[in-house]
Amino acid sequence: MSTEDEMLDFLGLDEKDELFEDIPDMIRTDLDIPEGLSEKELMVEVKNKLEKNKNLDGLVSFLGGGIYDHYVPAAVGEIIGRSEFYTSYTPYQAEISQGMLQALFEYQSLIAELTGLGAVNTSMYDYPTALAEAVLMSRRIQRKGGKFLIPENIHWDKNPVLDNYLRGSDIEIEFIGFEEDGSIDRDELRSKLDEDTLGFYVETPNVFGALEEDLDAFKSMKEENDCLLVVGIEPILLSLMRPPSDWGSDIAIGESQPLGIPPSYGGPTVGIFASDEDYIRKMPGRIIGETEDSEGKRAYCMTLQTREQHIRRERATSNICTNQSLMALASAAYTYLKGGRGLEDIAKENHKKSHEVAQRINEIDGFEAPYLDSEFYNEFTVKTPIDSAELVEKCCERGVLPGIAVNKIDKFDSLPDVLLVAVTEMNTDEEIDLLIETLKEVIG
Amino acid sequence: MSSEYRQARYDEDLLIERGEDGEIEDNPLPNDLKREKTVGIPDLPKHEVVRYFNRLSQMNYGIDTGLYPLGSCTMKYNPKYTEEIASHPKATRIHPYQPEETVQGTLEIMYELQELLAELGGMDSVTLQPAAGAHGEITGLMIVDQYHKDDGEDRNEVILPDTAHGTNPASVSMMGYDLVEIPSKDGCMDVEALEEAAGEDTAAFMITNPNTLGLFEKDACRIAEIIHEAGGLLYYDGANLNAIMGKTDPGAMNFDIMHFNLHKTFSTPHGGGGPGAGPVGVTEELASYLPVPVVEKDEERYYLDYDLENSIGRVKGIYGNWLVLLKAYAYIKKKGKDGLEEVTERAVLNSNYLRKKLQPHLDLPYRELRKHEFVMSGKKMKDKGLKTTDLAKRLLDYGFHAPTIYFPQLVDEALMIEPTETETKEALDGFAEAVASIMQEDEEILAEAPHNTAVRRVDETKAIRDSVLSYKMRDE
Repeated sequence: MSTEDEMLDFLGLDEKDELFEDIPDMIRTDLDIPEGLSEKELMVEVKNKLEKNKNLDGLVSFLGGGIYDHYVPAAVGEIIGRSEFYTSYTPYQAEISQGMLQALFEYQSLIAELTGLGAVNTSMYDYPTALAEAVLMSRRIQRKGGKFLIPENIHWDKNPVLDNYLRGSDIEIEFIGFEEDGSIDRDELRSKLDEDTLGFYVETPNVFGALEEDLDAFKSMKEENDCLLVVGIEPILLSLMRPPSDWGSDIAIGESQPLGIPPSYGGPTVGIFASDEDYIRKMPGRIIGETEDSEGKRAYCMTLQTREQHIRRERATSNICTNQSLMALASAAYTYLKGGRGLEDIAKENHKKSHEVAQRINEIDGFEAPYLDSEFYNEFTVKTPIDSAELVEKCCERGVLPGIAVNKIDKFDSLPDVLLVAVTEMNTDEEIDLLIETLKEVIG
Repeated sequence: MSSEYRQARYDEDLLIERGEDGEIEDNPLPNDLKREKTVGIPDLPKHEVVRYFNRLSQMNYGIDTGLYPLGSCTMKYNPKYTEEIASHPKATRIHPYQPEETVQGTLEIMYELQELLAELGGMDSVTLQPAAGAHGEITGLMIVDQYHKDDGEDRNEVILPDTAHGTNPASVSMMGYDLVEIPSKDGCMDVEALEEAAGEDTAAFMITNPNTLGLFEKDACRIAEIIHEAGGLLYYDGANLNAIMGKTDPGAMNFDIMHFNLHKTFSTPHGGGGPGAGPVGVTEELASYLPVPVVEKDEERYYLDYDLENSIGRVKGIYGNWLVLLKAYAYIKKKGKDGLEEVTERAVLNSNYLRKKLQPHLDLPYRELRKHEFVMSGKKMKDKGLKTTDLAKRLLDYGFHAPTIYFPQLVDEALMIEPTETETKEALDGFAEAVASIMQEDEEILAEAPHNTAVRRVDETKAIRDSVLSYKMRDE
């Protein structure tokens, strides 16, 4: 007797189909998909498909737009590849899940250190959904006012995500334009801030790579209007830059992909979400807290769960359940492997290289870089002498991906021909020379 | 396993505690942007960092450690071929804004996955964009919202059974709908109550079938008629799809929208909380409402199609959790038609086998035949002056993860158990023996459990009271 027959016998059944007799005949279906493969066949088939891709090892890429190619130390993969970590569920049973809980507490602590904001969740899905959750959280904190001010100089994916997340909310979004240097239009921001304002969002670096200056002015604007300030940040740059807590940020969000997560065609990544300690009960998502066990030993557990859907149901602060925890672990592992000085070094190298590249592009006849000419970190805009999409296409034919033709995106179609160019420590001197040569060639 | 199980127990201080303030040298930023002091992140030898995280991993329990019967979570074995495939450099080292010509392999896989999922769900079109099941739920409700708006209708209610997963009501209120909850009768939804509730305000109805008690909703067909007659749309929460693949599908049940939990049914690892993926399938009528882009193909190539007439736009940046999608694709291709049908059959067999094994020790509310999971009551623990929690904590000492507890709320002292298809009869017998043995144990041992894990019973009340959410908050 086979094991399955023994089990059926124990249940007093003759065949497996009796287990499905509660499904009415009229809705029974058959699967119409191919038969399975052996592991060997599968490996060949899937890898053959993947081989049709060209990856960043074979292309010369200056692509950014929210996803950056930084070096990921081999040890990161080894750490998140520990199957005790990656095959565990959300740590509902704290005693047997201390490893993941402590690792996620490390992640929260690192983000708190970088942003200066003490309350951090274990992750949102990504940067755009973190923005949407931050706006929704602002409403939970601040009942007054119906309007939230969002700058135009944010990534094009963020607008539709925000629109969708706000379908059920009474919040009205008003947009703030940007200056000729790419930074937020402060006069417009000031003029739209009023007592009906719930909060406003400032991003630095923004979608153009531009950095805001005079950060304290945002703090004053927030205080004068008694509203909330949500700030979008870049985590590696924060090793050199003033933390958002310093200039009045109530909530800080960002993308953790630069911290140890490969580009991966854009996912999975991690939405960073940090908040002022006063607002912990309004936060979305899983949060790990420090506590003790019954013998007084330090221990960790998920905390403030009464905010969450599995307890609070329709009164939860968010519906998020499955998040991006393993990627948060990757970011924590990466950050410790690099160390504080290591992060600074990467930030400095990115800053230096991108400025050198901008200068060299600027020296080519017909190009202007940075076109939106505020301070920048590792990404900047380039005005091109020919149609930006045509330029990208011609460069691609030569194996160089020079950037994103940003004026071809609906949202930014009022810009002239502009390319968004990102430079990281992965771009070698040879690649940079090739970019410059290629740009000269394709316009010539 | 027996109570001889011992989890590693290290005293590991946080690495962040070792960070120090210092001066930043040669900061290239303009003066008013400069950070005053260095970030307090320590600079440690790499091998110390690796050892630290390895020791932490030894204080963590995964499906690779043992049985993990969390109800509704489908903690099945995660095959290793998916990990190898998803770590391929031509999967990880591709940028989302590369030209489509350079990512034809990825687009082909995404296209095929859309098609495979559509068939598995009995749907017509699929978006791969949502990052999780709950994300799929709000995506579905955004489609519901747009659909009714385009029809010029103002419908403000979403109907759910009281057995729904917590994400369902949370998604409903997040999207601004009023929640209408239908009570259960004998463990299934009360259809008469549904008939009364459905009407011109009904925007949608959401359910998972089998429901969270593991019971197949016998009136599935009638439910669809009632909602459609009222002009509402039907949403299927795919969390429990592992119970029905190859037997029936949401399309056959006349549902309009559904999500798939690739990190449950399709075996992508749960990662200690994520990442997952929650693709959404819809009927032909709703196909033009999906988020963009979807992957299409013409005679020569695969491409990202942004041109959907009524599209709701986007629910997430870029295209979705690609590496998770890739793992699920590999799993579905490996299993194929027969393999997935066997998954369903064995999952339901294992569930019913374990249910009957446990019946002498715990109470089973409602009828016997369950699908992939079942809910028992630990109310016998009350005789000892104890609770279901104590049983759950003691199971950890035996080397098993505990089931989901205290859900669904309509069962007193609930234990929601889902063994999945990847456990052997011996493993299930071992779990049943552990429960039998625990029910005979002294109150004191149970009340103080767990004994064999990295830490003893964790004080969750103190965690809330102190609210230390980062090292920075420790001493404040």
